[in-house]
Amino acid sequence: MKLKFSLWLVILLALAGCSSQPGIWGWYVIDPRTVAGYNNIRFLLNGFGATILLSLIAAGLSMIIGLMVALPGMSTNRWISFPSRIYVELVRAIPLLPMLFWVFYGLPVVLKSFGITVSIDAFWGAIITLAISDSAFTSEIYRSGIQSINKGQTEAAKTVGLNYSQTMRYVILPQAIKRILPPLANQFIYIVKMSAFASVIGMQELTRRANELVVTEYRPLEIYTLLILEYLILVLIISFFVRWLERKMGSDESK
Amino acid sequence: MSDRRKAIEVRNLNKWYGEFHALKDVSVTVSHGERIVVCGPSGSGKSTLIRCINSLEEYDSGNIFVQQIEMKDEASINKIFSEIGMVFQQFNLFPHLSILDNLTLGPIKALGLSKTDAEERAMNYLKRVRITDQANKKPSALSGGQQQRVAIARSLCMEPKIMLFDEPTSALDPEMIAEVLDVIVDLAEDGMTMICVTHEMGFARRAADRMIFMDQGKVIETAEPKEFFEAPKSKRCQEFLSQILQH
Repeated sequence: MKLKFSLWLVILLALAGCSSQPGIWGWYVIDPRTVAGYNNIRFLLNGFGATILLSLIAAGLSMIIGLMVALPGMSTNRWISFPSRIYVELVRAIPLLPMLFWVFYGLPVVLKSFGITVSIDAFWGAIITLAISDSAFTSEIYRSGIQSINKGQTEAAKTVGLNYSQTMRYVILPQAIKRILPPLANQFIYIVKMSAFASVIGMQELTRRANELVVTEYRPLEIYTLLILEYLILVLIISFFVRWLERKMGSDESK
Repeated sequence: MSDRRKAIEVRNLNKWYGEFHALKDVSVTVSHGERIVVCGPSGSGKSTLIRCINSLEEYDSGNIFVQQIEMKDEASINKIFSEIGMVFQQFNLFPHLSILDNLTLGPIKALGLSKTDAEERAMNYLKRVRITDQANKKPSALSGGQQQRVAIARSLCMEPKIMLFDEPTSALDPEMIAEVLDVIVDLAEDGMTMICVTHEMGFARRAADRMIFMDQGKVIETAEPKEFFEAPKSKRCQEFLSQILQH
């Protein structure tokens, strides 16, 4: 319901602009009724695959790295928790775009000085950057979720003989995941939007394709409007899926 | 060094919470099969004492022996964990698991029992605490009294030699206290070694072999229930009993 409404709102606004100021808009550039427009649309929509794949892999890695950072970070032993603290503070402080440049242009050089020769393509460069950059935030999400579980649960698990990893796996994480899921979904949406930065290192995703089309067609207004709509649709679909997942997992603890 | 019959021995235990001296040179010995009730005003250190005994709390000095083994390193603590059962004031059942899974988790993961063996054992103990028809429900579907009885059964499933109860009825509505105490009395009559922190003095009279009265981190008085209730020696203990037994 809400999804439909916001979609129509954006489309209406765009069309309203189109009708009132005929000189500004030139929708022909993405008019599916013409061959050129149809091809342009196809070119733009073809970026979906890369954006989705990029976001999914980066989010998956971020969730794994985040957990690996969060768990030792909660240790009462300072020597164990300290590296996690440093990681979070450091990674959280680096802006995404400089990190992307550093990973894409700088990392192969650094690795080469250690005798490791790798070429990092735009796809993996973007994934590594997004995953690392995001993992600092997912780590904090895990931490708050896990720490929100009553200490009595850990104690009870201990008294029935469970060790640390069993306690996490069977008692704490299954309860924490319900509270972690909503902010984690938020973070996933953030990744989807931040994946647009991958365009600057040449990754053929939604934003890159829009930019390339703008350069050849000189119609930024229409093309970027469509680009925003593309992200909007993607994010709304994710929201819809997450709501469904939350209901299924019972994240709504009020009932 | 220590007597064969000692189930628990606490020697000169000291515990600080920052500036607060929670346990002051506490020494307690519990024989096998003995039922101890620990009472005292809040903040007297009674919960801290039993939490130290099963290593939920660290302490600053002193020694704790469980079944003649000193609890000083990870290895001895892990070894002894399955010997000590613990029942908490807030039940601490696992809310995401069914009653049956609450009971079988420890036996399957920690003791290595098969699922069928663990479930058979669980059903036995559920019968013992008089909850058999709710095995597949979630804890939240049960009343407080039922939840606490499930918590007791969960501890028993580990077949411990010693049971610790940390104010097991304090979070319960009055009408549910009796059903939980009955289960604990049952256990006591079966010869389970137990230490119970509680304010239920009627229960103490019924089930305890020995009373320990604590105040401000110290053991003030140790006596058999009859003597303890009828002729308490210390002034502090007399005051406490007159307050608690007034109504």
